[in-house]
Amino acid sequence: MSEDIARMGQCKGPNRLLDHLRRAWGPFLFMAPATILVLIFFLAPVIIIIGISLTNMSSATGFKNWAWIGLQNYGKIFRNPKSGTIFRNTVFYVLVTLSLFNVGMALVVALLTTHVPRRGGFLFRSLWLLPRITPSVVYIMMWNYIAADAPYGILNRHLLTPLGVKPTNWVPAQPWAFVILTNGFIGASFGMIIFSSAIESIPRDYMIAALVDGCSLWQRIRYVILPMIRWPLLFVTTYQTLSLLTSFEYILLLTDGQFNTEVWSLWAYHRALNNYWGNFQWGFGAALATILVIVGIVMAVVYMRYFQFTELVQEPRIEAL
Amino acid sequence: MIVKLEHVTKKFGDVVAVDDINLETRDGEFVALLGPSGCGKTTTLLMIAGIYRPTEGVIRFGGRVVNRVPPKDRNIGMVFQSYALYPHMTVLENLTFPMRLKKVPRTEMLQRAQQVADMMGIGHLLDRKPGQLSGGQQQRVALGRALVKQPDVLLFDEPLSNLDARLRLSMRAEIKRLQLDLGITSIYVTHDQVEAMTMAERIAVIRDGQLQAFCPPNELYDQPRTLFVASFIGNPPMNFLEVEVVADGDAFKARCPEIEIPVSAERGRAAAGRGKVVMGVRPEDIYLTRDGIAGEVYVVEPLGRDDLVDVRVGDVHFKTLVDPGLGLKIGDQVRFGIRPERVQFFDPRTEHSLLWN
Amino acid sequence: MDETMGVGGRGRAILLLTVLAVLTVPIVVGYLWVIISTFSQRTYGLIPVDANGHPGGLTLRNWSFLWKDAAIWRVTVNTFVLAVGLTVGIVVVSSLAGYALSRISFPGRRPFLATTLVLHAFPSVTLLIAIYFVLRWITHIPVVGRGIPVIGGFGYNTLGGVILVSVALELPLGVWLMKGFFDQVPWDIERAALIDGCSRLRVWWEIMLPLIKPGIAALSIFSFISGWNSFLIPYTFMTSQEKSTIATYLRSLLSDTAPVNYSTVAAVGLFQLIPVMIFFLFTQEYLLNIFSGGVKGGS
Repeated sequence: MSEDIARMGQCKGPNRLLDHLRRAWGPFLFMAPATILVLIFFLAPVIIIIGISLTNMSSATGFKNWAWIGLQNYGKIFRNPKSGTIFRNTVFYVLVTLSLFNVGMALVVALLTTHVPRRGGFLFRSLWLLPRITPSVVYIMMWNYIAADAPYGILNRHLLTPLGVKPTNWVPAQPWAFVILTNGFIGASFGMIIFSSAIESIPRDYMIAALVDGCSLWQRIRYVILPMIRWPLLFVTTYQTLSLLTSFEYILLLTDGQFNTEVWSLWAYHRALNNYWGNFQWGFGAALATILVIVGIVMAVVYMRYFQFTELVQEPRIEAL
Repeated sequence: MIVKLEHVTKKFGDVVAVDDINLETRDGEFVALLGPSGCGKTTTLLMIAGIYRPTEGVIRFGGRVVNRVPPKDRNIGMVFQSYALYPHMTVLENLTFPMRLKKVPRTEMLQRAQQVADMMGIGHLLDRKPGQLSGGQQQRVALGRALVKQPDVLLFDEPLSNLDARLRLSMRAEIKRLQLDLGITSIYVTHDQVEAMTMAERIAVIRDGQLQAFCPPNELYDQPRTLFVASFIGNPPMNFLEVEVVADGDAFKARCPEIEIPVSAERGRAAAGRGKVVMGVRPEDIYLTRDGIAGEVYVVEPLGRDDLVDVRVGDVHFKTLVDPGLGLKIGDQVRFGIRPERVQFFDPRTEHSLLWN
Repeated sequence: MDETMGVGGRGRAILLLTVLAVLTVPIVVGYLWVIISTFSQRTYGLIPVDANGHPGGLTLRNWSFLWKDAAIWRVTVNTFVLAVGLTVGIVVVSSLAGYALSRISFPGRRPFLATTLVLHAFPSVTLLIAIYFVLRWITHIPVVGRGIPVIGGFGYNTLGGVILVSVALELPLGVWLMKGFFDQVPWDIERAALIDGCSRLRVWWEIMLPLIKPGIAALSIFSFISGWNSFLIPYTFMTSQEKSTIATYLRSLLSDTAPVNYSTVAAVGLFQLIPVMIFFLFTQEYLLNIFSGGVKGGS
């Protein structure tokens, strides 16, 4: 026995080191590309953006002559008269789009497509997925044409003129309506797919039990379906809040922030990277973005907590390497 | 190849799955690890395979410590409950896969695959995919894949549980025959005591991660070392009742409130004077007789060759096997005796046998 | 009786389908217009008209960019390279990382997983400003920055840079999805492969990847479409005309100072949309899966 222990001790030294290396390097090889990309394009940018937000860097100062200015950019944001408006715009845009489309319409379409014959449901779901896979420029042009002034606009030509409404270009006339519609028709598909697969995975027994109990369709939705899909509902709500808050591609293409449709993320983008005057205020824009980044991180962490991260993660059932 | 486990313990976080197991096979032996599901037997097997690493203790293959040897360098073959065939490969590819990894020359590879396939009776299925095979055929392929690499140790993880009853019976015999012919040390995990009893040379009974017994089947049956082993082995299961054993001159009697059962001196002596003990009686050791204990037939379960009869004496029930020809019915009054030299006694606190330690 | 889970008469199905149809009108009308307008001199609403505003005026002239404008083929190739690069990058990197996160126990695995999940929900567009600086910095690295054929390099104003940024920003989603797919492979198969003599890398390549082919297909389709469509990242990080993609080319048609010919723009748009639509028709089931699969992992 003592001899055994001695022998074990012998093979422990170098073996353990080798073993350790293999255990450390094996997974590292798998993880390396992803890790490097995350470091370069997530971690570094977060640090950079916070750093830049503390400087006066702009196309006027260039990359050489800038200076640290502490929290002055944040002070400027709070004093800027536009901040209040843009903040209100952002909240308005997120809340209305989310409730009407990303959750509301998504749920309606999901419920409808799961209660009609399968092929019909599938067709409509595909149609609703179309906007998401359409190039954004084409998609926005389509809406521009729907809203365009007479004689070109579809809305004017086929609906409003016959009703006797005076034609106009409806994007400037009703900018928020169209910002919300364009984003909403894309946003709805995400929730729709998740909700409909959640509804379809409700055990049939519940549905049949509800039928046996004599539930009407409405009662079935209210007392069976909605309670059973409350997790997907919550997930879509939080996830989509975050993505609406920070995405601006379609607003950029539709109004470019004109007609008072500037939202926070677009404001940051305009100030820092893309504006008519070529005066890029990287410091100020970075401060605007930093605020969103902080909101994003906080929400993402809360969201992770809420959705019980630990339960999603199974432990590997192989320990060898 | 001798497989030896020394003080092997496996913890998953705070949960102890395998608790200080010591076990040594002989070369070429067929050993079964038997226990209820979740007892740690599969974990033990996976540690032998190298999939899991022991938290403590040492595993040896023929003297060599293999704790840190990866599975691919252990030269083992394993058969899984789920067959675990590679669904995207044909049967032939499945069979040759282990040899391909070892860079066996192509001609030899094909020859060996063909040989094993013929041995397993799957020669005509070589170009099929696993999805196109029946469960029995898949298990033959899995067995073939384990054998084709000419392993030093064969591991089986409940390989027959997914097969239907008839197939299980024939595969059982086939595996046993094959193992005997090839003489490869085999470790076979099962929760089915019949499987373990019929196939293994020795059975290791595991409960809650602990080794309860490790001995040949007949010993396990006749000399159960713990209450758990006694209750787990045998079908229909052993009857248990709480008794006090008293000496009556040279004779010994097991007494519970309403019944007195004579037991052999040799067995009674070990249990006498210990206060309350647990007595175990196998159903086949209870026989009907004119002048025995009086009871009433409570339930009759026909098993075909025998009737399993539940006889009630006061609050105590005895299950016994009875010739169906007697035509016993519920409510019949019967008298029965118990073979005095066949009873078992256990300490109710430690659950250890009073006879075999 | 219908064959879905609901029970109710044919009448109700028709009612529900009607409601659906009404809700879907804007989508149908919009795409209808795109198709009609590309074959018309101009359109009044959905009606093709000629130069004088009389109905008619059907023409193929809008498609003449296909043979008259050499730029379109250049940007198409660029777009294709971007989409393929993004797809290959995402699939390789996330299937590697997804495998390790799903299957290997190594120190730091849980923090990695938590990071992935947080990034999965993280608003990456907010980082564009900072990424601009990162790309400018990469540009200064010799060769890697701007000396690679086809993609130009990985710096600012190169196709490679845009691919790299796109891969990185889509990575959390990809890793999380791949992890979900790997999670579903039975452990015994991998154990069998290890016992048969595989290293983990070999298991990944020979056993796991073939087994999650549907997942890889779904992720590939998703990435290809998103690369083909991507606008914001190329628009932000590629300034030279000759490197632009279809989406940015389209945008430049719209914002030119000359009066915009919407029919031509629509034709270019449809030209960009057609491959995606064809792709979509054949693979919609995969795509529907990826979205719901992503949630199983994400919720």
